[in-house]
Amino acid sequence: MRYYFMNQEMKDFAIDVEVMPGQVLEFTHEGQKKSLKVKNLAGKYFYSFDGIAWKKLATLGVNETLVSNSEVYKVFRGYKPAGLNKGGAGALITQMPGKVVKLFKKEGDTVVKGETVLILEAMKMENEIKAGVDGKIKAVSVKEGQALEAGFLMAEIEEV
Amino acid sequence: MKGKRVLIINRGEIAIRVAKALNELGLVSVGVWTDNETEPPHLEYCQEWVHLAGNNNKETYLDIPKIMKIIDDYKIDGVHPGYGFLSENRDFSEALAKKGIVFIGPNPEAVYKMGAKDISKQIAKEAGVPVVPGSTGEVATVEEAIKIGNEIGYPVLLKAVAGGGGKGMRPCYSTEDVKTNFAAVQREALSSFGYAGLLVEKYVLNPHHIEVQILADKKGNVYHVFERECSVQRRHQKIIEEAPSPFIGNDEAVRKAICETAVKCAKAVNYDSAGTVEFIMGEDKKFYFLEMNTRIQVEHPITEEITGVDLVANMIKVAFDQPLDFKSQDDIKIQGHAIELRICAEDPVTMLPAPGKVVGFETTFPQGIRFDHCIYPKFTITPDFDPMIGKLIAKGFNREVALRKVRNALDGLLIDGIKTNIALHKVILTEENFVKGQYSTNYIGTVKPQEKVAPKEEIEAFMLKIAAIELNQMGGKA
Repeated sequence: MRYYFMNQEMKDFAIDVEVMPGQVLEFTHEGQKKSLKVKNLAGKYFYSFDGIAWKKLATLGVNETLVSNSEVYKVFRGYKPAGLNKGGAGALITQMPGKVVKLFKKEGDTVVKGETVLILEAMKMENEIKAGVDGKIKAVSVKEGQALEAGFLMAEIEEV
Repeated sequence: MKGKRVLIINRGEIAIRVAKALNELGLVSVGVWTDNETEPPHLEYCQEWVHLAGNNNKETYLDIPKIMKIIDDYKIDGVHPGYGFLSENRDFSEALAKKGIVFIGPNPEAVYKMGAKDISKQIAKEAGVPVVPGSTGEVATVEEAIKIGNEIGYPVLLKAVAGGGGKGMRPCYSTEDVKTNFAAVQREALSSFGYAGLLVEKYVLNPHHIEVQILADKKGNVYHVFERECSVQRRHQKIIEEAPSPFIGNDEAVRKAICETAVKCAKAVNYDSAGTVEFIMGEDKKFYFLEMNTRIQVEHPITEEITGVDLVANMIKVAFDQPLDFKSQDDIKIQGHAIELRICAEDPVTMLPAPGKVVGFETTFPQGIRFDHCIYPKFTITPDFDPMIGKLIAKGFNREVALRKVRNALDGLLIDGIKTNIALHKVILTEENFVKGQYSTNYIGTVKPQEKVAPKEEIEAFMLKIAAIELNQMGGKA
């Protein structure tokens, strides 16, 4: 089975995995082979790369994302998607769920890079959503007070 | 006191902590669940569950009429507010007092006097406690804020009258800053605390945030339970706390002075519960009264660990007119050192909240670790609440031992599926200045440990993720 991992910048990795007898998983990444042993002990899963040192495995459930310290990757089992989200540097997309508290710009307004377009409240914090490019607001697809999911396109800026 | 029914108007780890104490004391713990969190983990510890209908905090944890109705319907004898929400709301404690319901916290008069920062400062001043210069009352307009700023000199701090926990607070370095931030702080204050009043005060440079735990009964006895240092902060919110303060260190004269000053503050308002007097301490170890938090605090466990005093249980006992566990100030002594790390669902580098769903949660801790948390696999962290999901507390014979233990404990704390600040804590705990105990509230801003957070070994992390998915595909038969 081939796994694909893709982050927000569309950077992706592929790893092939083969399940072997004796709870061994064999991975191939860029031609390099590595095996991982898994053991169930006292109801928890442990893993080892060498069969000598064992560590606890935190991930017990299936989820579609891999979170490392700085990046979030989406995981795809067996297929590679065409793309994750549309829009370039001019697209303002929510990175987390939140609520729009204030809109500073409307359609047709000109903005400069770094200028605040709207304020998104999440976890009691006000986050200023700033323009990533110089340009003109092409579309605003949110209203003040609107609650948003992560990955929502709030506004688009046309570069000039 | 036994058998009394106590409603916990809170959620998360503090609701669990309070429920544990209530159960231990033989009271009936009554927990609530809301429409946007139908299966909160704290219910596991509560003996009875009540539905608090509503989708947002204004309709649930902040809705006084709704809560008063629950109190009637479910024959509640007392209420524990936890921290945040209605813990320092004078309307709420007055409404309870009128009905004869026990509020597990101070009397409404003390909540009123200390809860509003403008009045508390005046009281502290009158009691002979040094205070930070600033506005004498609420500041209604931007013009007034700018006028005060010009009088006391920049930088100044705009803060919510009803605020706490660092929310509704912004530093301003010029009149321009005041103009841009004033309305934003008002909005934050209104949405977080239900009250938009603001204060302006001098912003002390390189300060230490040191606070003293107070425990008082209804007979006029006021005790201190020593100090905590909470100077590691981001966005004016604490992320690491320790007790005793490494900055005060062995300077027993300063420790005695600050603790006794705190007692003086508490006595000035006839304080009769657990509370905290916060001070700002300059590099010269001169300290100023900042505010008094008339509630149990997030970081109370480190004080419990070094003194053995159960603050939550004692707070409940005094509310029901029971005696404290100790008889005099001399009964309380510092033994060892404790460090608390706040585990938050946030990006370790940008330190911005990162809600999500926990898919894996495992712990393997060394001896001497306490983990107050509300995490479990499939727990969804929503943007409606604070990103703090747990507190990792280590106690050691001295600071060095506590540091060693807490570092080791972090390696054994595995949370998968969400971004957490664990990686940031790992950097701070080995960072030179922190290890030496030399840091002020500017630590995060100047030392910038967040910039040293290393990305994980990606390929290895990918393999572990695949292993987990494959195990699940096989129905966990591996």
